[in-house]
Amino acid sequence: MSVYILGIESSCDDTSAAVFKDETILSNRVANQEVHKDYGGVVPELASRAHQQNIIPVVDKAIKDAGITAADINAVAYTRGPGLMGSLLVGTSFAKGFSLANNIPMIDVNHLHAHVLAHFIKEQNEETEHPEFPFLCLLVSGGNSQIVLVKSHLDMEVVGQTIDDAAGEAFDKCAKVMGLPYPGGPLIDKLAKEGNPEAFTFSKPRIKGYDYSFSGLKTSFLYFLRDQLKENPDFIEENKKDLCASLQKTIIDILLDKLQLAAKDLKINQVALAGGVSANSGLRIGLENLAIHKKWKTFIPKFAYTTDNAAMVAVSGYYKYRLSQFVEHDAAPFSRVVF
Amino acid sequence: MSTFLISSLDNIDQVAKDFINTYNQPGVFCFYGSMGAGKTTFVQALCEQLKVVDVVNSPSFAIVNEYNTDKDDKVYHFDFYRLKEEEEAFDLGYEDYFYSDSYCFVEWPEKISSLLPAKRYDVTVTVLEDMTRQINVVSQVLK
Repeated sequence: MSVYILGIESSCDDTSAAVFKDETILSNRVANQEVHKDYGGVVPELASRAHQQNIIPVVDKAIKDAGITAADINAVAYTRGPGLMGSLLVGTSFAKGFSLANNIPMIDVNHLHAHVLAHFIKEQNEETEHPEFPFLCLLVSGGNSQIVLVKSHLDMEVVGQTIDDAAGEAFDKCAKVMGLPYPGGPLIDKLAKEGNPEAFTFSKPRIKGYDYSFSGLKTSFLYFLRDQLKENPDFIEENKKDLCASLQKTIIDILLDKLQLAAKDLKINQVALAGGVSANSGLRIGLENLAIHKKWKTFIPKFAYTTDNAAMVAVSGYYKYRLSQFVEHDAAPFSRVVF
Repeated sequence: MSTFLISSLDNIDQVAKDFINTYNQPGVFCFYGSMGAGKTTFVQALCEQLKVVDVVNSPSFAIVNEYNTDKDDKVYHFDFYRLKEEEEAFDLGYEDYFYSDSYCFVEWPEKISSLLPAKRYDVTVTVLEDMTRQINVVSQVLK
């Protein structure tokens, strides 16, 4: 028999709700101005207060979009952590209330697992190919840079991670140094397409194992520009595209070098991308080229499932539901990063 | 005021050790300095001296990272850079952290200047011409 799962995500900036029928997505809403239109409100600026105002309309929309009613839902899955405590509490409290009111079980989901499990979201009337176990997932976002060995839906292990800045942060902070607006990642990607990636060379970190480091790149980029600007005050303006292309190439090389090493050592030939930085076209092309060379099979989810969203929480909830892995109402959210 | 000098990464651990020996009680330490000055790197070295068992990385996106030490004490690491309004700090419950009697290392404290506790240490990280990092600590406790 099919089960309906409601997923709730509120770990950081975005409030989102999704409804799934087994592994198939019926709806996925992320709070935006449109969600508030029917309620005459506007999106508030402050994060957790925004969650409080978003959560009811967003859940309501998701359930309506799915064409079901709250009474049809078999379980509620929610992000328990890691994330901002104030934000997590909103989603957690809502899930508890929803669970009590409808007398259905509650399923806690680790936000990082959910990013990986986004690869198993099935679309209605659409054949989607999913990775086979075991596979490696490169999780790259504003806050994460990890290589995850995925052994099953519920068994995964971090084999490498950043010891300082995340890859997305390296993009954003270097963009800031060049005077580009925040968030600078997408803009660097755009400018990089017209620049020469070999124009400048930035040193790569020497870190043991499969771990990453991006802090040194940020610092060397900063002091490189400082020195160049002393000679030529227009250096950034004159070389912006080449700087972006060279910087992007360095970040992608760092990401893919370790991924390649991990895949070789662990003898894995299925590789997946997850997280917001997987939208970066340079990274996608770099991975595809490497995959041809290494005979890997690669998986890149739809962009909507790479940033924070509830669809990935709902699908994660489904796999725990099958094993009756429910959580009691006294379960507290956690902010500490535990994988 | 006390001053520490880090001439290269080779002596950062020794400086961090001296720092923790000098400031051996938990408190709120606010780190001022431009991007790339080495605030996060120095906090990493301090956490190592405090025997933090978790990976200490940049909280720029998460705003606050929570770490455990080998004795299960908490260490909190903040980066308020991303905040647009001071009020956003209320949302993450900053008081619970600042008054928790744990070490709190705060990057970009200027973003929440009016919310900083009166009892705190202001730590300024300056990059000198030869790339030496100069660290000045002013205790706001004794004033």
